[in-house]
Amino acid sequence: MKLILSGVVANRGEGAKDWSVLADGIFSEGVHLVSGDVGSGKTTLAQVLSGLLVPASGAVARDGIMSVMLAFQFPEYQVTGLTVREECESWGVDHGELLNAARLTGKEALSPLKLSRGELKRLHLACLLSHTYDLLILDEPFSSLDCSEKERVCQQLSERTSGITIIFTHEQQIFPRVDHIWEIAGGLLVYRGRVPDALSSWQHAPELVRNLLATGKCPANISPDDLVEAACRT
Amino acid sequence: MIALHSLCYRHLAIDALEIPPGLTSVIGPNGSGKTTLLRLCTGIDLPESGSVLIGDRSPRDAEIGWVNEFPDRNILFETVLDEVASPLRFRRMSSTETRERVDRCLEMCDIRHLRDRTIRELSGGEKILVAVAAALVHNPTVLILDECDSHLDASRTAALGQLIRKSGIPYIIQSTQQMEVAAQSDQVLYLDTGALRFFGSPKDVFFKLDGTPFYPLSWRCRA
Repeated sequence: MKLILSGVVANRGEGAKDWSVLADGIFSEGVHLVSGDVGSGKTTLAQVLSGLLVPASGAVARDGIMSVMLAFQFPEYQVTGLTVREECESWGVDHGELLNAARLTGKEALSPLKLSRGELKRLHLACLLSHTYDLLILDEPFSSLDCSEKERVCQQLSERTSGITIIFTHEQQIFPRVDHIWEIAGGLLVYRGRVPDALSSWQHAPELVRNLLATGKCPANISPDDLVEAACRT
Repeated sequence: MIALHSLCYRHLAIDALEIPPGLTSVIGPNGSGKTTLLRLCTGIDLPESGSVLIGDRSPRDAEIGWVNEFPDRNILFETVLDEVASPLRFRRMSSTETRERVDRCLEMCDIRHLRDRTIRELSGGEKILVAVAAALVHNPTVLILDECDSHLDASRTAALGQLIRKSGIPYIIQSTQQMEVAAQSDQVLYLDTGALRFFGSPKDVFFKLDGTPFYPLSWRCRA
């Protein structure tokens, strides 16, 4: 199973014709992290990879990928149910179990848009992650989640054993275990390699990772447990 | 001081709290009442009982800058220039002074390059920076930021932190899910299920949160 990008050029908006991202590379099975600054083109590229946007040039080829899902950065644009219960049912899942896991029990009758932003993100991710996909693309999945929820979602993502998972994020603290690191810099998607080898060349590496590397303590991965383990090494 | 007294609104209840000048970070689980508290401090919502006073004024009589957690809910106008100029135009400031202050504010927020762009072409993070500029442009007494750092990258978050510190605004209240950011504040306020659990210096509050996911990761790694 592979997602192959060949000379992909993604543009954003007609008024920003001088703005583009050039992307070449192959996303294989595993968890991929794509980091980049605000406005670097993460969302645009996520939409191109998911097929929502057509690239200005180049091609995106799916090899063996039968199902695709994109989690929007702003879940308010991906909600269809008028109530939390309806939203769960629209994904074909039992609302009781799902809302319990997402700590949203008791909010079944509320409009999803009456939830706090973090609660809406929790609902959205819980619905979305209740299914499996060959290609799962998540655009800023951790924004607005509280620290406990970030760790819970990261655990879920770390446990995905099949398919291609691509996480676009500027998160700097709590990550899942990932297999590959990419970043967007200067209008170019750059592959940094497999973790942990990629960490030393990762320009958007969190300060904590950089500090650990500077003291010769290379973490095995970038989850909180891995970072604490590396820090505690003697 | 910002003084809260016998405050009740929906599920939020705070008996008494005095927030001194400086940078205050409001933290807590999703749904704990952070946004509710911030909206009461702006005067967008009025308490069902009790009061919020900024000095001796109600929030609606004070100069407040506010940035919503939903980027698109901050924006009224089509272009960046019109959006950032709007608080000054609503105050009937002269066009010359409006232009000068807008340009200065865009420069300060490092988004001068977005000046003539339409809002719909911006990324989520860029929209937040525009909203911050619009909140700062009229020199408010209180600046309130609702988790706007969740849409910003590390360098922008650091730059925003420096910017608001240098702004000279007496009271800055921000909610955040980035504990490393909260740890840099003058005081931290921890809410849970609509109640004020802890308030004090970052050191004191995070000491009480040791062993929870809210304890800063970098502090866990230095232990």
